[in-house]
Amino acid sequence: MNQAYIDGLRGILPEIALTVTALAVMVLDLLTRGRDSRRVGWLALAGLAATAWLLFAQWGNSPRTVFGMVAVDAFGNFFKLFTVAAVAAVSVYLLCDRRERKHGVGEYYLLMLGAAIGIFFMVSTTNLLLLVLGLELLSLSSYSLAGFHKGDRRSAEAAMKYVIFGGLSTGIMLYGISLLYGLTGTLDLSLMAGAAGDGLPRSLATQLAASPVPVGVALVLVLSGFAYKISAAPFHFWTPDVYEGAPTPVTTFLAVASKAAGFGALLRFLGALFVAGGVQQALADYGSRIGLLLALISAVTMTLGNLAAVRQASLKRLLAYSSIAHAGYVLIGLSCMSAQGFSAAMYYLSAYYLMNLGAFGFLLYFEGVTGSDSIDSLKGMGSRAPLISIVMVAFLLSLTGLPPTVGFYGKYLLFVQGVDAGLIWLVVIAALNSVVSLFYYLRVAKALFLASPSERAAAPQPLLVGFVTALGIATVVLGIYTLPLQAWAERSLDLLQ
Amino acid sequence: MESQVLSWITFIPLIGMALILLLPKSALSAIKGVSLAATAIPLVLATWVYFGLFAKGTADLQLVQDLPWITAIGAHYKVGVDGLSLNLVWLTTLLLFIGVPASFSIEKAGKAYYALLMLLEVGIVGVFVSLDYFLFYVFWEVMLLPMYFLIGIWGGPRREYAAIKFFLYTLAGSVLMLVSIVALRLDSGTFDIPTLVELARQGRLTGANLPGGGELLGLQFTTWVFWFLFVGFAIKVPVWPFHTWLPDAHVEAPTPISVILAGILLKLGGYGMLRACFPIVPDAFRTFAFALAILGVISIVYGAFVALGQTDFKKMVAYSSVSHMGYVLLGFAALTEWGMSGAALQMFNHGTSSAALFLIVGVIYDRAHHRDLNGFGGLAQVMPRYWALTTLGFFAAIGLPGLAGFVSEAMTLVGAYDSANPTFKVLVLISTLGIVFTAAFLLWAMQRVFLGKLNPKYAELSEINAREVFCQAPLLILCVVLGILPWYLLDWMQPSVQNLVTLLSGGQG
Repeated sequence: MNQAYIDGLRGILPEIALTVTALAVMVLDLLTRGRDSRRVGWLALAGLAATAWLLFAQWGNSPRTVFGMVAVDAFGNFFKLFTVAAVAAVSVYLLCDRRERKHGVGEYYLLMLGAAIGIFFMVSTTNLLLLVLGLELLSLSSYSLAGFHKGDRRSAEAAMKYVIFGGLSTGIMLYGISLLYGLTGTLDLSLMAGAAGDGLPRSLATQLAASPVPVGVALVLVLSGFAYKISAAPFHFWTPDVYEGAPTPVTTFLAVASKAAGFGALLRFLGALFVAGGVQQALADYGSRIGLLLALISAVTMTLGNLAAVRQASLKRLLAYSSIAHAGYVLIGLSCMSAQGFSAAMYYLSAYYLMNLGAFGFLLYFEGVTGSDSIDSLKGMGSRAPLISIVMVAFLLSLTGLPPTVGFYGKYLLFVQGVDAGLIWLVVIAALNSVVSLFYYLRVAKALFLASPSERAAAPQPLLVGFVTALGIATVVLGIYTLPLQAWAERSLDLLQ
Repeated sequence: MESQVLSWITFIPLIGMALILLLPKSALSAIKGVSLAATAIPLVLATWVYFGLFAKGTADLQLVQDLPWITAIGAHYKVGVDGLSLNLVWLTTLLLFIGVPASFSIEKAGKAYYALLMLLEVGIVGVFVSLDYFLFYVFWEVMLLPMYFLIGIWGGPRREYAAIKFFLYTLAGSVLMLVSIVALRLDSGTFDIPTLVELARQGRLTGANLPGGGELLGLQFTTWVFWFLFVGFAIKVPVWPFHTWLPDAHVEAPTPISVILAGILLKLGGYGMLRACFPIVPDAFRTFAFALAILGVISIVYGAFVALGQTDFKKMVAYSSVSHMGYVLLGFAALTEWGMSGAALQMFNHGTSSAALFLIVGVIYDRAHHRDLNGFGGLAQVMPRYWALTTLGFFAAIGLPGLAGFVSEAMTLVGAYDSANPTFKVLVLISTLGIVFTAAFLLWAMQRVFLGKLNPKYAELSEINAREVFCQAPLLILCVVLGILPWYLLDWMQPSVQNLVTLLSGGQG
């Protein structure tokens, strides 16, 4: 083997580690015949820890591309660490979820690790073909995860909906990609953005000057595929049903890891085509139009998500709509089409990680206690399980965007970038949206604390409660001491140089 | 210690809260003791600052403490006081201190109650001492959550509705404020409120550094900022037509919380305008001063008129707050030194008199378990001492000469009459209607509750007890003392007020 090949393998060591973990998990699950899923879970966690360690080892290296299509850079690193952290958190939830035991949870870990491998390639490739491959690997794993409760109609329905919507949107996206390929003669984003000369591969800017309509159509089609993945309007319809029907740990995975992966790939796509240092002026100008389109999508997404969340009786469904609204907030950062805007979006995503994981952890805990995901069933539980309920209030505050929490600081950063990009109307809409969101987030706090104390006893779940409490502390502390997260988000933007 | 005294005043209640959370639920008397201590120490410190550390003859910000906080966005932890904020800091520490013994009759979930009360004090004091807009906003929002729970858990029958209405209204105002803060930060590159004021004085805060170059939809940047900030603060004051949360919140809140709401939270709105709205966009303020004056007059007359129609004792007092806070806005808008001093004085005096009125309502509600003004009668015969205290409180609220309310209302009206804009004279005439209505509803209430034939149902009511007197006494004493010696406030405020009036009139400071 030659040196370049070995170097390339070194670049994708984390991916290799993840794959090995997935295989090991499969073998262990077969050996224990599904009897001891906890051991499988701990093995998955160990593998994830090793992957994280390899990712940290890559941290700070100068960006490079291996095998011609996998970018090894801090941007990818950000989203990979994010994914590892999210999958690890969901694994902890699975370990704690007594109700999932009967479903042979060994495969859970395998499917989730498979999805994570897909995410890893999705967020680190500059080649649209590999992007679609990563996306499909993520999607296929997610479909099976959503339908994991094989006997449960809701779960089966969720999986079916997910497959149909997912297949359709991937088709649309692929069609857009094929148009882009036809127009430029390449699948590589950096070539699309910066190829010189008239021969193939041809820059998108040249094509734009010749005939703007096909370029616009192709871009809109590709963006639709991304919009589906991040559940932005008008491609959000699948979200509430799938989130509600899927087992709660899976919903957590979809809401946090899968959505962030969509954002990661979208950020790279937009960054490479329109924002990065080397792109031609015509494309940068065109980017501001795409930005305006994204701003519109952002406004519609957050408003629809928030208004629909107001009426929900199920906490799970409420969180699904709230996750749509949050996709709208993150899109503010993207529509700025600037490095600072992107870094604000990435900060918000890490805030979203903390507060949403926390909220889902809370949901999981109470599903275990009450056997239901309705908000009514939480009535008076505040005094029964005070710690996790108080921590939940911190998540709710953060989701609303009230200080002193990460959610507030994230929103502040987004607002600054929005105003700076001349999108003050969008910022005002987002600000008013947080008032709407307060109304439904407070319904949870109201049920917990304002109703008379419940008679039901709460089960002690030290691991779960401890984990969620740690997330809650991080939500508040990182909202006051904001430096680490912000520095991380800013240093991860090397793809734009 | 001296340079950090404001931080101690702000954060000692937070230490108190931590201690309370560490105590077991059953140790209620220990919790009460900690709460008393955690509110008494800030009161002592604030008194020390007021009479000892603070230098009276200057408009400068004093006892400033400035530490870098979030360096990435240039937010500082910067606190300090001047004549405008110091008296309100002191009032806050006093009312919170009174709030603790006033809460002793509350039995439900005491631990959570006192912990939230402590957190509330942190938020309120924090707003009054912040000199950094980011910090200001953080404190501004921090106090919402404890207030929500304090009303929502310990309030009256419609507490859930009242609590969420309070929260939503205030948040609606404050998100607009946040947008303005973001825009100001981008335009000026700083969160520092004194620097923003200085930039505005030099005419350099016009939004020129923003995309759009200081214009949006045909309106100037400063106009947008002014209205966004003003509405944010006006909701808190509350100015008509943003007042509708107030009757609900006041009526449903437990007595000590009503006291704090009326006594201090409303002042946050007025103070916010003086500190962080008017001087930052002085040109827009001058342009719209007359509109503000009209809103003020409507609040004065409307509040008093609606109070006249109430049969619920507490709701009547709540509407009287709308009326009394109207003077504050009128005084600001007049842009004269008398008007401004009068308005600032009115904020303090309303803080003492309305707090006393809510305590008075609380006394009778604890005994009779209702507040229907028509359901009493002749209580003066059973509770003569209570009646005496009530009379004093009512007269202070009416603005009887010799009591504090008179000084501030008279100063406000005289100041408004002197305004450069002659139309203000008409406004002053109209607002005197408010005085008449106020006298009418308070005297009528007195007649229905205390005079006339004794309602036999209440012949056995017990007289006001020592704890209740202890809570009311400082407030009523202040009403009397400041009616005779108002310069105990005015001397402290005056340099800052002069400075503010010069700034706002566009003269050289």
